Amino acid sequence: MVVICVLMLIPFYWVLKTSLTGENIYAYPPAIIPVDPHLFNYVDVWYMIPFPRYLLNSVIVTLMAVCGNLLFNTAAGYALTRDFPAKRWVVLLLLSCMLIPFQATIIPAYLITSWLGVLNTHLGIALPMLSTIICIFIFKASFEAVPRSLIDAARIDGLSEWRVMVRIMLPLSKPAIATNVILNSIWSWNAFMWPLIITRSPEMQTLPLGLARFLSVMENTTGALYAFVVLVLVPGLAIFLMAQKEFIQGLTSGATKG
Amino acid sequence: MPMPPPIAAVEEAASPSLSSGVQLRGVVKAYGSTQVVHGVDLDIADKEFVVFVGPSGCGKSTLLRMIAGLEDITGGQIRIDGRVVNELDPSDRDVAMVFQDYALYPHMTVFENMAFSLRYRGVAKAEIRRRVDEAARILDIESLVARMPRQLSGGQRQRVAMGRAIVRDPRVFLFDEPLSNLDAKLRVAMRTEIKRLRERVAITTIYVTHDQVEAMTLADRIVILNHGRIEQVGTPEEVYDTPATVFVASFIGAPPMNLLPARQEDGTLAIAGGAAMPRIGAAEGRALLAGIRPEHLVPAGTPGTLPLIDARATLVEPLGSDTLVSFEVAGTPAIARLPPRSVRRAGEMVPLAVAADNIHVFDQQTGQRI
Repeated sequence: MVVICVLMLIPFYWVLKTSLTGENIYAYPPAIIPVDPHLFNYVDVWYMIPFPRYLLNSVIVTLMAVCGNLLFNTAAGYALTRDFPAKRWVVLLLLSCMLIPFQATIIPAYLITSWLGVLNTHLGIALPMLSTIICIFIFKASFEAVPRSLIDAARIDGLSEWRVMVRIMLPLSKPAIATNVILNSIWSWNAFMWPLIITRSPEMQTLPLGLARFLSVMENTTGALYAFVVLVLVPGLAIFLMAQKEFIQGLTSGATKG
Repeated sequence: MPMPPPIAAVEEAASPSLSSGVQLRGVVKAYGSTQVVHGVDLDIADKEFVVFVGPSGCGKSTLLRMIAGLEDITGGQIRIDGRVVNELDPSDRDVAMVFQDYALYPHMTVFENMAFSLRYRGVAKAEIRRRVDEAARILDIESLVARMPRQLSGGQRQRVAMGRAIVRDPRVFLFDEPLSNLDAKLRVAMRTEIKRLRERVAITTIYVTHDQVEAMTLADRIVILNHGRIEQVGTPEEVYDTPATVFVASFIGAPPMNLLPARQEDGTLAIAGGAAMPRIGAAEGRALLAGIRPEHLVPAGTPGTLPLIDARATLVEPLGSDTLVSFEVAGTPAIARLPPRSVRRAGEMVPLAVAADNIHVFDQQTGQRI
């Protein structure tokens, strides 16, 4: 287990090491220990390109996507635990939508975004990521694990459906919430194609687009490139490490009884 | 056998007013084409403690959930304190329910669990505190109010669940098999607790259980359900002493009543494999069942009894206070509760007798008492 963990961490270590030294990545034999480490590459990234602007855009879009997912996925997930006409068909429709690759929906998504007048805006970038079907089903599985008698007790106590969801279901579904936050943070943080299509001005670009732009203008700055990569990776890793326990519980909830 | 009315509450229950208590009129529940409750009529008086009892799937919990408003009513009418509640939400029926699995909110403390519904009803904080403290004192859980449910034992959780119901001060308490998840010893203790609580908090109560001992010990009146129909309603003594049907006779009592095939012949009750007993009232030759409780089978020669059978014991179960002796009467298994050490081992011959008044006669075809 330790060996596998070390093997998994090697690429991260290599990126971090290169970002601190700027050494030739093709050098042989490679230096295991960083030689003369420094933070100049990070300073370069921060000042040579509008990195803070990219970072701000990514943060805004990610926050919008995460909030949208929590709002819409919890409501949809809770609805799917209740009985309503044609529920089976709705579930089937959602599952079949998961089979359609995102690339196939880009043109209609673009047209809808344009029709809504949110092209080249944060909302436009976040729009297709405001709800994800897999996360709806994660919430559904989590809500179904809540004993039916708790919902009955809440109804007798006078709670409306909406309040049952907010006051009873959500506090008992922390793993599902953590899973939603992590998955949607990573997906929206790393999104490349949709922001590329939807943004027109450099001021609206997110970090992945900034990375591509950086690559195109800075060809011989390996250290700065790796520093950029580290800065892009750190927020996602931080969120994952903070919520990994709940994340794992969320992915496995409903798999076992009790 | 005629029975005296046991308690005043039962006398009151015999003529319930439509303006108080709970009334069920032709209540029907169906899931699609499957009907599970078939037109139940029942009057529950104000402050009466009624127990619904029956085997699994008899519709007792469904009926309770319909009264609570947690299940839609397919047909009929439910009134609480004279008000038709068919279309009312559970929260508007002024009922409180205690669930089999306690249904305590796991993310709230005991105090928050008990105060939760009051907060949603706009009750002042000081009043909430007063009511929770009072309920905690009644149930002896004052030291637990700051704990989370996971830090409580099963019995403590059940007390909190009852406390949550008490603070509401509802018109009707509903208990859905509240002791089923407890071990045997704790169940007996909690049963006593509920009995005491009943004396301190006089509120109309409907209690569902499949345990006839709980039903007998707690109820003012017992409602025995089978296949979604009421078999009999009566005080514990009535349903035990004069069961209305074969089902009630076999369901109430442990060990259950012996049901021996019999016929009315020449004005006597001829029990297959046993002696003829004096009996009148049934048509000649009609197929009957003679019901005899195990404790009413006594050693032959006991004054006031008639000899029934010389039985060969097939199984002897000494319980200390008495001995259960199994035997067969013309191929029908039967059991007798005899004095301790009266029979030592299987194979012994046991002459048994019964008092004629202790024989219950049922129509074999309809299952109804004659």
